[in-house]
Amino acid sequence: MAALKTSALPAAGRAPERPRIGRKQTVRQRLRHDWPLLVLTLPALAQLAVFFYWPSSWNIIAFMDYSPYRSFWENPFVGFAWFERLFSDPYFMPALVNTLQFAFAQLLFVFPLSIVLALVMHSVISTRVRSVFQSIVYLPYFFSWVLVVTVFVQMLGSDGLVSNWLLGFGGDRIDVTADPDSFMFLAWMQWSWKDAGWGMIIFLAALSSINPSLYEAAAVDGASRWRRMWHITLPGIRPVIVLLLILQIGTILTVGFEQYQLQREAVGYQTTEVLDTFVYYRSIIGTEGESFGTAAGLFKGVIGLVLVLVANNVAHRLGEQGIYQKS
Amino acid sequence: MSTTDIRSRKPRVKNRRPSWDDEPSLLGKLTKAAFLICYAAAIIIPLWAVVATSFASEEALNKAGGNLLLLPTELSLRAYEEIFSGGALTDSLILTIILTAGGTAISMVLTIGAAYGLSRPGSLAHRPLLMLILFTFLFAPGMYPSFLVVQKLGLFDSYWSLILPMALNAFNLIVLRSFFMNSVPTELIDAAKMDGAGEFRILFKLVLPMSKAILAVIALFYAVMYWNIYFQAVLYTPGLDTQPIQVVLQRMLMSTQGLPGAASNAAQYQSTAAAPTAALKMAVVVCTIVPIVIMYPFIQKHFTKAVITGAIKG
Repeated sequence: MAALKTSALPAAGRAPERPRIGRKQTVRQRLRHDWPLLVLTLPALAQLAVFFYWPSSWNIIAFMDYSPYRSFWENPFVGFAWFERLFSDPYFMPALVNTLQFAFAQLLFVFPLSIVLALVMHSVISTRVRSVFQSIVYLPYFFSWVLVVTVFVQMLGSDGLVSNWLLGFGGDRIDVTADPDSFMFLAWMQWSWKDAGWGMIIFLAALSSINPSLYEAAAVDGASRWRRMWHITLPGIRPVIVLLLILQIGTILTVGFEQYQLQREAVGYQTTEVLDTFVYYRSIIGTEGESFGTAAGLFKGVIGLVLVLVANNVAHRLGEQGIYQKS
Repeated sequence: MSTTDIRSRKPRVKNRRPSWDDEPSLLGKLTKAAFLICYAAAIIIPLWAVVATSFASEEALNKAGGNLLLLPTELSLRAYEEIFSGGALTDSLILTIILTAGGTAISMVLTIGAAYGLSRPGSLAHRPLLMLILFTFLFAPGMYPSFLVVQKLGLFDSYWSLILPMALNAFNLIVLRSFFMNSVPTELIDAAKMDGAGEFRILFKLVLPMSKAILAVIALFYAVMYWNIYFQAVLYTPGLDTQPIQVVLQRMLMSTQGLPGAASNAAQYQSTAAAPTAALKMAVVVCTIVPIVIMYPFIQKHFTKAVITGAIKG
């Protein structure tokens, strides 16, 4: 196959549909040839330029004493002063700690749940049962956080269905939805309810790409169910696990805004403040200025970027594919 | 690669344990069944309670004495009548439908254009442009700079700020691009070119008709995103009278959680001065769920494929 490819097509490789004479085509010639492709790409690039790269470059005001009432270049550069201010802010560290807590809790308790769900689902033989359960389990992934929180309040709040049951059995009301001490548990239930099914689908897809003859060979050799899972299934889905782990680690400081903002009033800001809500409440609707909020956001963005690159590098060292291949 | 593997392996005998596999123990089977049933129940029961409550009459709700009930003793459509009676709730629903339709259309134009434009490795500036798009996976500009840009563009408190800033999803773009690259045969495109068709013709007459399924899935993903818009509305359009349905729902929820300051917020959404009844709230929840449930079977049908192409191939 490979031999055929190289011998039959002289311009093998990247663009077989277009006769290419090495790299001799000038930019002008290529432009005449490729302009429709560029025109088609243009709207998306314009959107990115305006709503991704332009705001990204605005991050420079994290190093300035920015005021909207001055012209841009009149704003003095202040170095890392805003970051120093950020770290001495009494609310920033708690927000950072909360963020990390929620992120690690997601990694530790939701991620494995998706894998377990996928493994159980994969072992179900009946395709009908499987498809029914799959449809149910990942439906909530498409619900908004507002909806999820609403449903949880209605179920587990002080007037909720569960409280009523408990009253009916002679128990006390519970209110999980307004209790700072149990917020982590509540958040865990919400993540599981909303997102575990989505993770399950991805792992199921990975599971179904494992060659079944491996299982057969192992079974014939006398490997038990558990051994087959340990030696075939888990290694088989390891690349996907690593990929998702890297992606999760990269977004570790982005645990989301909505879930925490929505429950802030009920549970209290001390427990629910994460970096995004910190920026919103302190800087956008609060009194801290533009530079302060930008510095907090930039801190988050840069840490995220570094984490993805490091995690991906580690994955490469461990012999995994990671999110992008080394070229 | 993985997609074709799965497809080619599918036509096996259905619902039969392979001969080499021994029957699992009864205990194992029961544990598994219990786990799955509990999990499904935890999702189904709340949703059922929401639907049941939305159709319950006031009296039935009072008798049940809570926010939710599982079996309404008396049915009533009052909540839905109120939603569709032309008040603020109707406006909000109409707005959300328009946002969803318009936003999805814009997003699809951007996504299809770029996915096709970048589907020919080796075309002019292909690599740098692709890098510009892939970089968005690694970094986020931050909330404040994005907010500033929306302000500077004059989009603050404008409905455009609920569409344009997130009109392009790089993940969807990459999924669609790899579909164009891997699943549309190059021979067909070459043949069309031989016949003198330009790129636009090829895109509209050849590539798009061949990609209907995946286009529908991506459109539905965008639609769900716009339908669920909340954060952007809180951030960019706090001053507008008619808010997306999720914001309205949140205000209704707050108003009955009995929190200081929340009641005044919610008051403007009430046709009566009283706090929204549980039935009305749940009816709004049902209204936000129904479109998703309608789209869902379709998403589901094609979506595993899209996820595999996207997540595994990256």
